[in-house]
Amino acid sequence: MTTPKIPNSVPTSFGNSAASRPGSLGPARLAGVAAFLALVFVAVPLGIAASGRWDFYYTLTSVALLSIASAGVWLTFYIGRINIGQGAYALAGGYVSAVLITQVGMSFWLTLPLAGLACAGLAVLIGLPILRLRGVYFAMVTLVLTEVARLSALALPVTNGAKGITSIPLPGELSVLGLTIIPDFATLEDPKLAFYLVAVALMCLSYLALWRIVNSRLGHLCRSLQQNEELAASIGVNTAHLRVLAYAISSFFGGVAGAMFVSISQSIYPSSFQVADSVNFMLNCFLGGLGYVFGPMLGTLLLYFGWDLLFTTGQYQMLIYSSAMIVLMLVLPNGLLSLFDRKGGGK
Amino acid sequence: MEQILANGLYLGAQYALIALGLTLIFSLMNVLNFAHGQMYVMGGFVTYTVVAQFGLPFIVGLLASAVVLAVIGAVCERFLFRTVIKRSKREESTMLLAAGIAFFLDAVILLVFGEKQRGVPKIVDGVFNWDMRLIMPYDRILIGALAIAMVVGFILFMQYSRTGRAMRALAQDRMAAQLMGVDVDRYSMIGFALGAMLAGIVGGLLVTITGINLGMGGPTSVKAFLMIMIGGAGVISGAIAGGFILGMMESIGLTLLAAYGDVTYLAIFATLLVFLAIRPQGLMGKPWG
Amino acid sequence: MQRRTFIATAGLSLAFSLTASVAAWAENATLKIGFVGVTSGPAAAWGISNQRSMETRAAWLNELGGVQIGDTTYNIEIVAFDDQKDPKRAIAGMEKMAQDGIHYVVGPNVDDGAAAVRPVAEQNGIMYFPYAFPKELYTAPASNAILGMVANYQSGPAIYKHLMETKGVKKVAFVAANESDPLSQRDSGVEAAKALGLEVVSDSVTYQVDTTDFTPVLLPVIQSAPDLLVLSGVSPANAPQLIRSARELGYTGLISTETAQDAQVLQEGAGELANGFISVGGASTPELASDAMKEFVERYTAMFGEYNDESNTKVYALEYIIETLKANPAAIDNVEEFKKTMDTFEAANPFMVGDAKLTYVGTSSFGQKRQVSVPLVVNEFQNGAFQTLFVAKVD
Repeated sequence: MTTPKIPNSVPTSFGNSAASRPGSLGPARLAGVAAFLALVFVAVPLGIAASGRWDFYYTLTSVALLSIASAGVWLTFYIGRINIGQGAYALAGGYVSAVLITQVGMSFWLTLPLAGLACAGLAVLIGLPILRLRGVYFAMVTLVLTEVARLSALALPVTNGAKGITSIPLPGELSVLGLTIIPDFATLEDPKLAFYLVAVALMCLSYLALWRIVNSRLGHLCRSLQQNEELAASIGVNTAHLRVLAYAISSFFGGVAGAMFVSISQSIYPSSFQVADSVNFMLNCFLGGLGYVFGPMLGTLLLYFGWDLLFTTGQYQMLIYSSAMIVLMLVLPNGLLSLFDRKGGGK
Repeated sequence: MEQILANGLYLGAQYALIALGLTLIFSLMNVLNFAHGQMYVMGGFVTYTVVAQFGLPFIVGLLASAVVLAVIGAVCERFLFRTVIKRSKREESTMLLAAGIAFFLDAVILLVFGEKQRGVPKIVDGVFNWDMRLIMPYDRILIGALAIAMVVGFILFMQYSRTGRAMRALAQDRMAAQLMGVDVDRYSMIGFALGAMLAGIVGGLLVTITGINLGMGGPTSVKAFLMIMIGGAGVISGAIAGGFILGMMESIGLTLLAAYGDVTYLAIFATLLVFLAIRPQGLMGKPWG
Repeated sequence: MQRRTFIATAGLSLAFSLTASVAAWAENATLKIGFVGVTSGPAAAWGISNQRSMETRAAWLNELGGVQIGDTTYNIEIVAFDDQKDPKRAIAGMEKMAQDGIHYVVGPNVDDGAAAVRPVAEQNGIMYFPYAFPKELYTAPASNAILGMVANYQSGPAIYKHLMETKGVKKVAFVAANESDPLSQRDSGVEAAKALGLEVVSDSVTYQVDTTDFTPVLLPVIQSAPDLLVLSGVSPANAPQLIRSARELGYTGLISTETAQDAQVLQEGAGELANGFISVGGASTPELASDAMKEFVERYTAMFGEYNDESNTKVYALEYIIETLKANPAAIDNVEEFKKTMDTFEAANPFMVGDAKLTYVGTSSFGQKRQVSVPLVVNEFQNGAFQTLFVAKVD
């Protein structure tokens, strides 16, 4: 007695925003992007300076970094896989960066892409066997991956095991041909703003990349995969190759986010990214809306900020937070951005 | 050796019972119930409250757990999952709902039952000792036997009762079942209630041995996922097999690999990955459940 | 414990403390003390016992009319942040504290959180009192963390030595959960045991924290026939199950741990099998508790319905903060002043009978005074209550 239903559902209703529109940059879209950039790079710092809420910098930095990892998860959703294992790659990325900085003496800025690449490589190795799985099987295997990553971090000698890696120096200067692009963080009076700007810049780059992928040939192929793998394969799409590629890109995002977090906390432990993080990355995508490239960003903002804002409610924090989540799900089961979904509406 | 097998059997019996509820809900509604572990914890606390605080017999506590959890399960299905499934475009959206319910139950458990580890006194004293070759406390034997009895009872129920047949039909083909006159909504609700009840009963049973605390929910869900992956999602026999296999693997692994530190679970997980790469649908599942 | 009364009391006391702190003593200035720790999820017990002991003490002091520091009388307000045992959240919590103008924070409860908040604390001038043992947190160049309890590498040797001398222990075995804190504690425990000349017969067995049956875990450990079984960094949830499994497997030797435990939890989970279990506690055993400690336990119980013995070790951090501020009022918003005062600070320990003192120690472990001096009280569990086995001092 098993279920005949295939989890992936109605193809026509899969979002109408970036997914189904051509990838051209119309004037309206350009204006939207410009407004968004102005908001995160100018309005937010000004707003924080005016209100004096300096603690929001870290909150927003976290949101930016977590939404990068969530963007990766979203991409695996895009090929029809539920990924609850992004925490594993965030942890791996963090360790790659931490080890390279502390043991090789590499500059943080160099370790950042390397952490992403290492995770992408790892994802190819792990993805080749497990991407054959679908539906809940894939979801559950990836859930186990996070635990595997934690146990590996405890057991491997290079990670310093249970004691973690601490006292990692702040990111140093980044200069090209003698021209300082990013100053040494240790010389800054308060690196909060600097971390915020770097994180937000990374987030913008990630989402730009994601958007490009979705609107490229690769994105079309991914959609064909999401809707019917057998059909896609039968018309000559190399599904195995495509799946691994998408999964590797997804993990690249996870690795970069993890590495960046390590530079903020200046330490990493096997428990720095846990199963709960992996689940949250997935929830961010659901909450924002699976049909929208910017869904995971909005979802992360809401879930993370929501918890933060409820901090004054003390022991009832969790109760209110979870109730709000359930209610949101009842009202908008297709994610927040489905509010703008004019064509689709309720099924 | 006898000891390892006995430990594995005992673990397997309790695991199988946990996995049964999860797989039942999954087979009926395609919902991966993230809150399953929290329901198990809830069941443990209900039994604890009835037995340790009201001073009533253990069996009353167990019944209370079953009833309370069945009601919770029914309410979740009727008012939450049914609505979301009807309205959402992708079935996976229920995962967010299930996770929300898991957080909610966690919060309720913390507020109502507190943060401490709880346990009820042993229901039977004494330890069975066969020549130091096999040591098993009597209460464990009793709970293990009860768990196995419940598994058997559940199979019989699914096999021979009218409700069981209806649910099997539903799991096999929802549309066809509906066309044949099965009240789909009613049996979905009963199925969900039954699944939650099983989780509650395991919680109640184990509170006498391992006790219960707030934190056991999440990890229990993950373990239950492992079991149904091994056996095959949505298949009753698969859940039972998965439970016993995981129990045995833990028991054997912990004994053989003890000298190497933390590698037992790594080894279990690695084996699982290899196994699933070869057989993606688990032991008994149909492909792409 | 009657749960219904507990809920009612908790609800009432919350409502009461909220209104009370706003209305009744409005004439006093407010001194905010932070708490960043885990009060939800699996490890909630650690943070909650911590937060509640702070709230109990704060409410008590406020009821007495507040605390006089310099020329100003303050009411104490506890600002608590739940980090969900996530180091990333812990940083956010520390940022919140900085935002609130708080300079003294108790927590976090675990190694990774304590390490992660260090940059924020140092950038914002916050002294924090983690319940985490890694030495890097307290040794220079780190300077803002103060260990809020006795570290296991300090209590472990004392316990092993005592048991060698009084019980003739020769062989010792270690079991730990496969998580950072317990594993680190196991490693330093093994080191200490070897240094004392004990034979370590098993130190590689670990378990998942969510284990429901410890028999297979403990089987190889018991077969190595130790005289003393050390449960390194064991959480109160796992302790009774481990004890029970070990005893049921026929183990007759000693069992000990270096973390604080709760008598009620042990009694419920292991009953008389837990008799003789050795753990580290605060000064609340009848022989040691002062009247203040007894009153603290009463007030805690009245406020939250049920006492948690883990709080015995967690009552001190807040006391140290307040007493040090009294000794040097300039430190109220300047942690550099606080650090200066720490070197010479001394006050009476209100929670223990006799003339015990509150001082800062840690020079031998960290090279600087970055630890509160709390009495190392080693307890033995007997029939539902703790009895003092011996008391030692740490430096």
